[in-house]
Amino acid sequence: MSKKEPVIFDIGWNACINCGACVAICPKEAGFISAFDTIAVGRPCDIACLLCEDICPVSTITHKAA
Amino acid sequence: MSTSQYDLVIIGSGPAGATTARFAAEQGLKVLLVDKRQELGAPIQCSGAVSRHALEEVGVAPEEEFIHEPIYGFGIYNEKGEKKTIDYRQLKAEEYGQEEGKKPLGYVVDRRRFDRYLMTQAERAGVEVWLKTEGLSYQPNNDGSCDVYLRRFNQAITARARVLVGADGLQSQVGKWANLRTHIKITELASCLQFIVDQVETDGLLEIITGHEWAPGGYAWVFPKGHGYAEIGLGVIPTMTDKNAQWHLDQFIKHSFFKERFRNSRILEIQGGGVPLASPLRTQYADNLILVGDAARHVNPITGGGIHTALSGGAIAGNFLADFLNQGRQPTAANLKAYQDGWLEEIGNKMWQLYEVKTDIFRTHDIRQRDALLFQTMSGYFSPHSEYKKI
Ligand SMILES: Cc1cc2nc3c(=O)[nH]c(=O)nc-3n(C[C@H](O)[C@H](O)[C@H](O)COP(=O)(O)OP(=O)(O)OC[C@H]3O[C@@H](n4cnc5c(N)ncnc54)[C@H](O)[C@@H]3O)c2cc1C
Ligand code: SF4
Ligand code: SF4
Repeated sequence: MSKKEPVIFDIGWNACINCGACVAICPKEAGFISAFDTIAVGRPCDIACLLCEDICPVSTITHKAA
Repeated sequence: MSTSQYDLVIIGSGPAGATTARFAAEQGLKVLLVDKRQELGAPIQCSGAVSRHALEEVGVAPEEEFIHEPIYGFGIYNEKGEKKTIDYRQLKAEEYGQEEGKKPLGYVVDRRRFDRYLMTQAERAGVEVWLKTEGLSYQPNNDGSCDVYLRRFNQAITARARVLVGADGLQSQVGKWANLRTHIKITELASCLQFIVDQVETDGLLEIITGHEWAPGGYAWVFPKGHGYAEIGLGVIPTMTDKNAQWHLDQFIKHSFFKERFRNSRILEIQGGGVPLASPLRTQYADNLILVGDAARHVNPITGGGIHTALSGGAIAGNFLADFLNQGRQPTAANLKAYQDGWLEEIGNKMWQLYEVKTDIFRTHDIRQRDALLFQTMSGYFSPHSEYKKI
């Protein structure tokens, strides 16, 4: 399988309901968390599985290439 | 700065952490319980349904302080709206009901008040509790202790413990600190959204609506919330739909067989979360460390309920650790395995069986057949004769 390109996330805070589901599904190492208890924003994720986007009940996570 | 010494440092004061702490402190252990939140239970990521038996089992009195509403049974619906009623006020009228001398089957609790109450009980048993304190990492030492790195109101603190307890919920990082395999499959985590609403009538029953059409991979629910309020919610498995939970909840409210009932509903609160419909972790211990509650995935894989299992898991963990440390045993991974063995024997093996039941349902490809199986399983699960009643 080809390695995925790293991504960087943006969270629409207006819609985020602080449910923690994105952190629960995330397979990254400990601590890839934002100050608002979501997956980290502003630093790249090299796994780029995008499960965090899939689980978000209000689809408020988007990404761009890091 | 100096390092304080404890028998246990517990990360997370939800039902699992607070109960572990209380049971351990009651048996003489020196316990530090930390939680990163400023108000426990908030923002709410739970519907708060718990059986009376679950509270009694761990010595928690049903206090008005945290109860939204008593519950007397269940209404289970299939995808067409056909209902199976399991109302204990009718099934066991001499035992269950509102009248003097009778009791409820369970409660819907306010998690903000419930979690605070459990923490208070722990504190009164001698536990030291720190809010606004985040667990950051841990390091086992050569002398059999471990150092736990914390941040409390921006201050770095190291606490020394004999055992670290990870009770940090579904978003658990503590298990990752010890390189335990904590990952949940996307096919086994339900994405949930729920609204607390006004102007929807309920009748003391937890209503559960099955069917792929309304909640693919999960189910929808209507719970009484006290003060005339209700909660409408659902959970979906992302791989079974290309829409999000918000879209499905909107469909359910506007287009299901309940659309007339929900017509005047007004949203008072919005909550959500992830519910694992998964197996318990295969390894819930490491050197100087055990996991309990959602962090160990002590969650019922059929219903997604985890309060009961967090409370009883907490009691098992607290009792075990008190015995273990009072006997002066070394908290190596090999010795702490006995915690998991004991837990499996008391509740875990039944949870594994439930996991098999759940897996069989969702392995069924034919949607109508799967819907029928889920409806049948849910109806059986909540019946008075269910062999799984005590989970
Ligand atoms: C939408 C939804 C509805 C649900 N409805 C029900 C229901 O009706 N009935 C039921 O039985 N179960 C229900 N559940 C499941 C139930 O909420 C959980 O199983 C239960 O809360 C688990 O308790 P816990 O103590 O293990 O973890 P939690 O209650 O999640 O507590 C973990 C605590 O750890 C703290 N914490 C986390 N990380 C750190 C850190 N690094 N440092 C310090 N503190 C930390 C958190 O702040 C939190 O207070 C529901 C779940 C969801 C998402
Ligand atoms: S892409 Fe995958 S690994 Fe990266 S933050 Fe999202 S869930 Fe975590
Ligand atoms: S899953 Fe979505 S709503 Fe939930 S905390 Fe993450 S970004 Fe916010």
